[in-house]
Amino acid sequence: MTDAPTPTAPRLEEATDIAVTPGPLVGPVLRRVVGMLAARANLPLDKLDEAVLVADVIAQRAGPYAAGAVQVRLTPGEGTLAMRIGPLSTGGAQALLEEAPDVGSIILKVADEVQVDTADDGEFLSVCVTYAG
Amino acid sequence: MQDGPALIDGSSPRVTGRRFEPGGVSAAGGVRPPAPCDVQLTLTARAEQVVLVRSVIGSLAESIGFAEPRVDDVRLAVTEACTNVVRHAYDGVPGRLDVSASSGDDGLTITVADHGRGLRPSLDSGPGGLGLPLMAALAASVEFGQTDGRGTTVRLSFARAAE
Repeated sequence: MTDAPTPTAPRLEEATDIAVTPGPLVGPVLRRVVGMLAARANLPLDKLDEAVLVADVIAQRAGPYAAGAVQVRLTPGEGTLAMRIGPLSTGGAQALLEEAPDVGSIILKVADEVQVDTADDGEFLSVCVTYAG
Repeated sequence: MQDGPALIDGSSPRVTGRRFEPGGVSAAGGVRPPAPCDVQLTLTARAEQVVLVRSVIGSLAESIGFAEPRVDDVRLAVTEACTNVVRHAYDGVPGRLDVSASSGDDGLTITVADHGRGLRPSLDSGPGGLGLPLMAALAASVEFGQTDGRGTTVRLSFARAAE
């Protein structure tokens, strides 16, 4: 068996792209990826949990607005994890930001930065979870 | 890799050198929406990313009902394929690693692709070898192809139950 390569120090700000067919797999897969990259970004547990909450919202709501696959670009930095969700069809970003009953908008509550932008291929929601230290 | 690569192991029908056209991978930046596959990952070929791929693919295998020993097989084979990319595909500067996974009634198919210098599969499984016999032992089948005419694509197929 080939020896596993010696892990190098984490390289920050290298993006990981993930695309998952809408359905029950989005949640388990996104939670794993977000959790691992949040840990790599040295986010404390509470911030890691918040990042995973964002992943859950994406998993629950993005499917109807994702043509073919729910796509997320994740970029960890020192104490920060950026998530860019899209492309989404019109209304998709707003759907992710919608309030939950008795809770409000989960993403707006936990994220430190939120931005919606539109490109030729659709809407994108950018969410950043940051630990200020 | 040469055209029409030879069988890796002539005595093992599970490992073929048949060329196939991998879908869903591109040398261009970003991720194309996968057509038939369930999950697609595009990341930098570094050691720590192999851990991430292993975790995601293992999670996928669990989610579609693979028994734990079979999940372990999938994890190990995918780890081997990705480690080969990290160690051999790029000379110096880590490049791109594409992993896609597709589930169906018959099991799980995982494709690992790089855009590097390509590999010459070998039966040599000694120290520093490519571990192809290991992948062949764990997967129902292993196929090799070229990525965009240059790098290497490995397709691993897993039945739900070990053969």
